[in-house]
Order: sequence, then C-alpha cells, then structure tokens
Amino acid sequence: MVLRIRLARFGKRHAPFYNLVVAHARTARNSKPLEVLGTYNSVPQPPRPGDTQGRPFKEIKLDSARARYWIGVGAQPSDTAWRLLSMVGILEPKYRVGQIKQQVVKADSAARSATKSTILPKDEL
Amino acid sequence: MRRNMYAWINGPGQVFKDPLPGSTNYMSAYDKTGNLIRKRDRAETPEQDIDKAPEEGGSEKAGAWGVEGAAADEEGAGEAVEDALEKEMRRQAGEEKRNRAEGKDDKLPPENLEDLRPFPLNKMFRSQPVLSEELREAIWARVVKDGVSVPVVSVEFGVSNERVGAVVRLKQMEKEWIGEGKTLARPYSKAVLAMLPKTPYDPKNNRRPVVHESINDLIVHPATRQQIWEPVSESRRFTRVDAGRAFDASLLPADDRIPHPELVLVERESLAGLSKDERTQLAAKRMMDEQAKREKVERRKAEEAKRMQVVPGRRWDFVFQDVSVESVGRDGRGAGGVGWRYGFPHEDRKKGQVKIPTRVEG
Repeated sequence: MVLRIRLARFGKRHAPFYNLVVAHARTARNSKPLEVLGTYNSVPQPPRPGDTQGRPFKEIKLDSARARYWIGVGAQPSDTAWRLLSMVGILEPKYRVGQIKQQVVKADSAARSATKSTILPKDEL
Repeated sequence: MRRNMYAWINGPGQVFKDPLPGSTNYMSAYDKTGNLIRKRDRAETPEQDIDKAPEEGGSEKAGAWGVEGAAADEEGAGEAVEDALEKEMRRQAGEEKRNRAEGKDDKLPPENLEDLRPFPLNKMFRSQPVLSEELREAIWARVVKDGVSVPVVSVEFGVSNERVGAVVRLKQMEKEWIGEGKTLARPYSKAVLAMLPKTPYDPKNNRRPVVHESINDLIVHPATRQQIWEPVSESRRFTRVDAGRAFDASLLPADDRIPHPELVLVERESLAGLSKDERTQLAAKRMMDEQAKREKVERRKAEEAKRMQVVPGRRWDFVFQDVSVESVGRDGRGAGGVGWRYGFPHEDRKKGQVKIPTRVEG
C-alpha cells in the first residue's frame, strides 16, 4: 500500500492543529499513523514580547532526518506536506517556485549585508 | 476675607508667583512676611552651625567601594540609609560654605530638611527624593551596557531592586522612542523634576553614590500579618525557618525573602571574624558560581536557537523546530512524544483544569 506523509487535523473547532504523520494512504485521516513526524500549528502566533521587529510566526515541529528517510523509501507527501517539507529543503519546491527563489535571493543578500538569523534552504534549491 | 487674600497675594504670597528654580517652593520654607527662611538664617548666623558636621558623607572610603563595602554600610549602621540624604545635604552645605568663604556669595543655600516639609503641621512628613536624570542614565548604562545583574547594581547605587528594574525598562522605552523619532515630553519632565528633591549622581568625584533608599527591607508577606500562638516544646530549637512555616506551610524564612540575602551573608562572614582576604575570596567564589550558572543557561538557549530554522513568508514566518520521533518512547504512547497523542481523551473538560492564562510572557 502507498505510504503518505500528510496532515492529521487535531485541535478544537476553530482552533486547528495538525500532526504531520506517515500513514498508509487508505487509512482514515485521524487514525493511528505509522509515525508522527511532527506538528504544524496553522494559526499564526503573535510576535514574542520584547521582539520589536518581530513578525507573527507559525510553529512547525519536524524530525527532518526521519522525514528524509520516509521520502527515501517512497512515501508520497500530500500537497500541503510537500509545501512544508520544501521549506526546509527536504524536497524541491512545487508551488510558487519563482517566489521562493526570489525569497532566497533576498535572504542571501540580507545575510551578506548583515548577518541575520534567517536561514533558507539555499543548497537544495 | 477677600481683602486678606489680596493682602497675601500682594505681600508674602508674591514669592510664589515666580517660584524659585530648582527648589520645592513649599510654603513652610518661607516665613510670615514672605522671606526665605534659609536665606535669612544664613545671613544671621554666618559661620557656626553647619560646620559642626564636616562632610562625613563625603570623604569616607573614597573610591574603594564595592559590594562588600556597601554591604557593611547597609547593615552595620542602621540609620545610615535614612540619614544619607541628610549627610549629602550637609556635605553640600559645607561645600557651599567653602564657596562663600572664597567670595562667591550669589548662590542660595541648599534646601535643608525643614524645606522638604510640604505640610507645616505634619513634622514627620518629608518629601522623598526621586532619582535624578543622571543617576537613571547611569543605572541603565550599568545594567544594559555593562551587563551587571540587577541586584549588584541595586547595591552599588543604593536603589531597590524593583526601582532598578523600573528604571531600566522605562529608559529602554525612552531610547526606543527616541530611535523611532517620537517627541518626548521633555519640558514637562524638566519642570516636574525641578520641583522635587533629587538623589544626585556625581561620578567625577571618587565618592560612593548617595544611597537613595533602604534596599534590604523585608516585604511584609500577607501570611505574616496575623499573630499566631504557636506552642513549642522547650527542647525544640525554633528557628526563623520554623517561624516561616508556622505562618504558612509554603512561606520561606525571612532570610530568603529579603531582597539581598548576599548582604546578610557578607555581614555574617565579617561577624564570624573572617579576614578581609578570606571574605573577598568567598565573594569571588560566589560570583564565579553565579557566572557559571548564567553561562550554562545561555549555552542551553544557544543550543535551542540552533535547532530553530526560520523561513520568512509574505505575512508570517515559518519557524521550524527540530524534534525527534524517538521522544514518544518504544511503545509509541509516551506523554513526551511530539504531537497530539492517539488513544487518549483530551483533558480540557476534566475537573480542575485551568484554562485561563496564569502568566504573561515578557
């Protein structure tokens, strides 16, 4: 059976929260997966107090080594999972490729001018 | 009635129309005919009273002050803190006298304690000094630029922990505002500060900073407001720790609740008859321990930051945190695992769950 890397919705009504899971493709969305790779909180969190130039952020927890392994053995990410995994350079970006490339260029120049803490997956792109 | 009012306004009250700059301008500073009492007194008794206390606040331990020196002063001489302002005044008076002797007579004498009483009938009430602008700046620089911890700065300047924290926060905000180009209410603050007694700060002379307030006061805990009759057997040693427990099971002893337990420790060591070298060594060791602890925390934070990866997006950033799937345990049911757990009901409808936030970050 096909393995998929996909999101499983948890959380409450109007407060979604997702587990990033590896599961058989034909099992139910929230059934017990083979493995929980991480989480994805799709609700943007306000910038941390004291962070004057802070931006809102979305929290993602991910075991990237494990994600690479599952992709290596043929697990197929869903579109959303693809988008998330491509952000950390595990996969080629499939969506908004131009935009992301632009972002990389921008971040690169920013990093060159001032050593900023933003890291981008430049080696994979 | 009205005539009296006008008589006052045109007579003794006239001085208040153009208030003295740099003075509190309380009514009790003037006599019934509207003369400044301290000016009059000086003219009458030229060279006697103030000289009796020749600048004791000034020359003691010039230059060589530190945590230990401050501690000795703080604890040893109990009233020293309250009298610090008085001393400073006397010192100023002495200086002023010297100036006068040299022929510069145009200045007014500095305010004495009588001038700091806004209510003439309430002799015990004195206007308390506020931190001068230079002192606030110095405190901010010491904490933020030099990176000295708040308790140490508090001991150095004789300003309480809370006040040091407040000064640093407000100064930081002020600087941020200046950076953002906001206009500050400078004339207002200047005007208000000109009317208040201030704790001066003079880094040029090698004097210790003037102690602003008593810094090691024990805050009265609500649990200790009641009187308790606690029968204790004669053979039992009833210490302060036990006294704390008698008030409340979770109440710490007074020694741990005071703002600066380290000052008490320093005093204890000196009472125990340790030599200066030994005490310095012990203090250095304590400092090293503190430093090591701080570094450990910083290292942990840096490690955590290394595991974070920020990908900027258009409206928000995506913050990736590296985790391990192993944390869920061998059977895949551990509570420390990543993500929502499978096969466990959510507990938010259970009795006793606190859902409102109990703390605010930052």
